[in-house]
Amino acid sequence: MKFIKNHLMFILPLMAILLGIEFYLVFDRTTDSYEKGLKEGYTMLVVTRKPITLEQLRAHNDHIASMKAIKRESIVSEAAQGISKESKAEILKSLPYFYNVGLDSYLGTRELEHIKEDLEKDPVVKRVETFGSSYSSAYRLFSFIKFLLKVFIGFMGIVSLFLIIKQMEIWKYAHQERMRVMEIFGAPLMLRSGVLFKVAIFDAFIATMLTSGVFLYVKFVWAAQSGIDLMVEKQNELFKMTDMAILLGVALLLVIIAVYMVVFSAKGEEE
Amino acid sequence: MSNVISAKNLTLAYDNGRKEIIKNASFNIRKGDFVFITGPSGSGKSTLLKALYGQLKPKSGNLIIGGVDLANVKPKKLQELRTHMGIIFQDYKLINEWTVAKNVVLPLMIAGYSIDVQNTQAHRLLKHVKLAEYADKYPLELSGGEQQRVGVARALAKNPVLILADEPTGNLDDYSSNVIWDLMENACQQLETTVLVVTHKIPTIFSLPYRHFIIESKGVYEVH
Repeated sequence: MKFIKNHLMFILPLMAILLGIEFYLVFDRTTDSYEKGLKEGYTMLVVTRKPITLEQLRAHNDHIASMKAIKRESIVSEAAQGISKESKAEILKSLPYFYNVGLDSYLGTRELEHIKEDLEKDPVVKRVETFGSSYSSAYRLFSFIKFLLKVFIGFMGIVSLFLIIKQMEIWKYAHQERMRVMEIFGAPLMLRSGVLFKVAIFDAFIATMLTSGVFLYVKFVWAAQSGIDLMVEKQNELFKMTDMAILLGVALLLVIIAVYMVVFSAKGEEE
Repeated sequence: MSNVISAKNLTLAYDNGRKEIIKNASFNIRKGDFVFITGPSGSGKSTLLKALYGQLKPKSGNLIIGGVDLANVKPKKLQELRTHMGIIFQDYKLINEWTVAKNVVLPLMIAGYSIDVQNTQAHRLLKHVKLAEYADKYPLELSGGEQQRVGVARALAKNPVLILADEPTGNLDDYSSNVIWDLMENACQQLETTVLVVTHKIPTIFSLPYRHFIIESKGVYEVH
């Protein structure tokens, strides 16, 4: 019973870290297309008096990456239904030119305003509409949620790491007599702390398997039965075999750091 | 004969040097010497022993063992030096989670001997201390005298140059004590191992010539 308790006290905080990491990986993958849509789907509207080329716009600002002309005919036919052909031709003649302009990266409101000012300096440009506030608020809300998730996972990670180190110290006390005897007989640090490494690495494997098990269950059982379209659609993204390698790598790294911290602090006490 | 231990103006202290236990002690111990160190309780016998296996750094002076000055020894060198020592404790200091055989071969394990060599040596050593049939038992299943014989077997495992013993018979009955003294006498006589024993009382039946040091009023003096 004590044996199981000792191991659970180590495995559970380690699992908390691994669950956090895996949750972030899954969140990142499933929302990737949404984030891309927000970033790449954004265009600003440029209205010009005369036809204009991409190079002409780029000359004003380097962030401009693409440009697509909006068909004036379709605007007229939408806006002037039931009007004679001559009148339509007249409207078309007086209608300015419309372009959807794409940017090379996500930019803040201030940068968008800067691009707007640059473009409006050109006498050919009649008006620039950035849709800055709606674009920015959607993306910022998403970024904020992602940031909160990172903070939460980071905080959980730090707390869990402290719990792991605490548990490791308990193990150190449990094995202290043995380590001291080995030290007196000249055992090097690695040999006398070998038992801590063995137990910690074993628990890292167990924690990785349990975490992977949770996400495999979510992927193959829960997601399939949930009836949520997004879950069914993104089922393959919920857990990948490479995730297991990432989790194992992180778990091993964490336990090795924890063992080193405890072992070297013990060394300091002895000398 | 060459000196195995050489102390010159040795001062040992606790509490960051504030509490001096031994002051300005000078003595030499040669290869093959059997040495008893006696003194009243709290005189500093165990403190001296601690300094000899490098657990306590001298406050001042020199303490040279096998050419290594323990006042300025690097951890790696001390570690190496300890592999040439066999240490016996009053409270045995066996590893209770390990079998008797594994305890005995600890010095061989540290030296990196193969499992086969360790098994052969464990059998030989336990036979030597008349505990061959206890190889697979655990220390807590043995009596105090038997545990101390395991401790002696462990100390002898790597044919050390120096055996340091801290009250090795302090907790034992007369029969067990005599067995322990016999084992240490044999080591000294047959292998020319230097043996240094800290004890309250020198055994009445002791066949080897020995040297006797007494610790008194912070000094270490040889009794002739």
